[in-house]
Amino acid sequence: MEMVEHSAGPMRILELHGRLDAHTVAPVQAWLERATAGPEAQILVNLADVAFIDSTALGTLVQGLKRCRQGGGDLRLCCLQRPVRMIFELTRLDRAFTILTDEELAV
Amino acid sequence: MGDPETIRLDMPASYGYLDAVSSLIAALLESVEGLRDPAMLSYNMQLAVHEACTNIVRHAYGGCSDGRVRITLILSRQARRLTVELIDTGRPFDPSAVAAVDLSQPHEHGYGLFLMHSLLDQVTYDPQPGRNRWLLVKDLR
Repeated sequence: MEMVEHSAGPMRILELHGRLDAHTVAPVQAWLERATAGPEAQILVNLADVAFIDSTALGTLVQGLKRCRQGGGDLRLCCLQRPVRMIFELTRLDRAFTILTDEELAV
Repeated sequence: MGDPETIRLDMPASYGYLDAVSSLIAALLESVEGLRDPAMLSYNMQLAVHEACTNIVRHAYGGCSDGRVRITLILSRQARRLTVELIDTGRPFDPSAVAAVDLSQPHEHGYGLFLMHSLLDQVTYDPQPGRNRWLLVKDLR
């Protein structure tokens, strides 16, 4: 799992590359914990290059979402591949997260 | 190739090997013709087995590095069915004691069993002293 971070104004964008699962999620969780430590954190997680996501990763993203919103910010997702999108729909997490088709739409 | 086709693995119960199991499932399913949506079927099967393996690593063995899991994958092209058996020798659990996940709210835990039941046609768990067995079945349509 490779993580690439950049910013667009106040928004921090995290691009993930590879498999996001119980084996690889720890550094993502750590990054989200740091990024959501302050108030009004605005985060976008770009999943364009994530072909596999499991329930552990879903839980980590939900944790980040909750931390953001508790601080008055938000964590959004973009560029989900079709199977990953399907898992979000199956778990109804597509209703909890704002999911964009394009990173540009978030900026 | 005979039918059914059987592949057996005996591996450490470690998160690090689960991508190899996914790759094996993907390779097996690539050889099946006439699937409505091959990419989704493959992903769903990989994820369901991955969730079962994750449960074994995390709960049956409590993350200990010396547990093992025996996995048998049986692909029947004639019956159009993929069956996956997973056997561990760790701590059993009681599936009926696991509360169903409430999908009306986002949760940080609890989606694993839900995904297994949603993505597969049959999920059976048989805990026995010293030997717990998952049987996962997917009809290949």
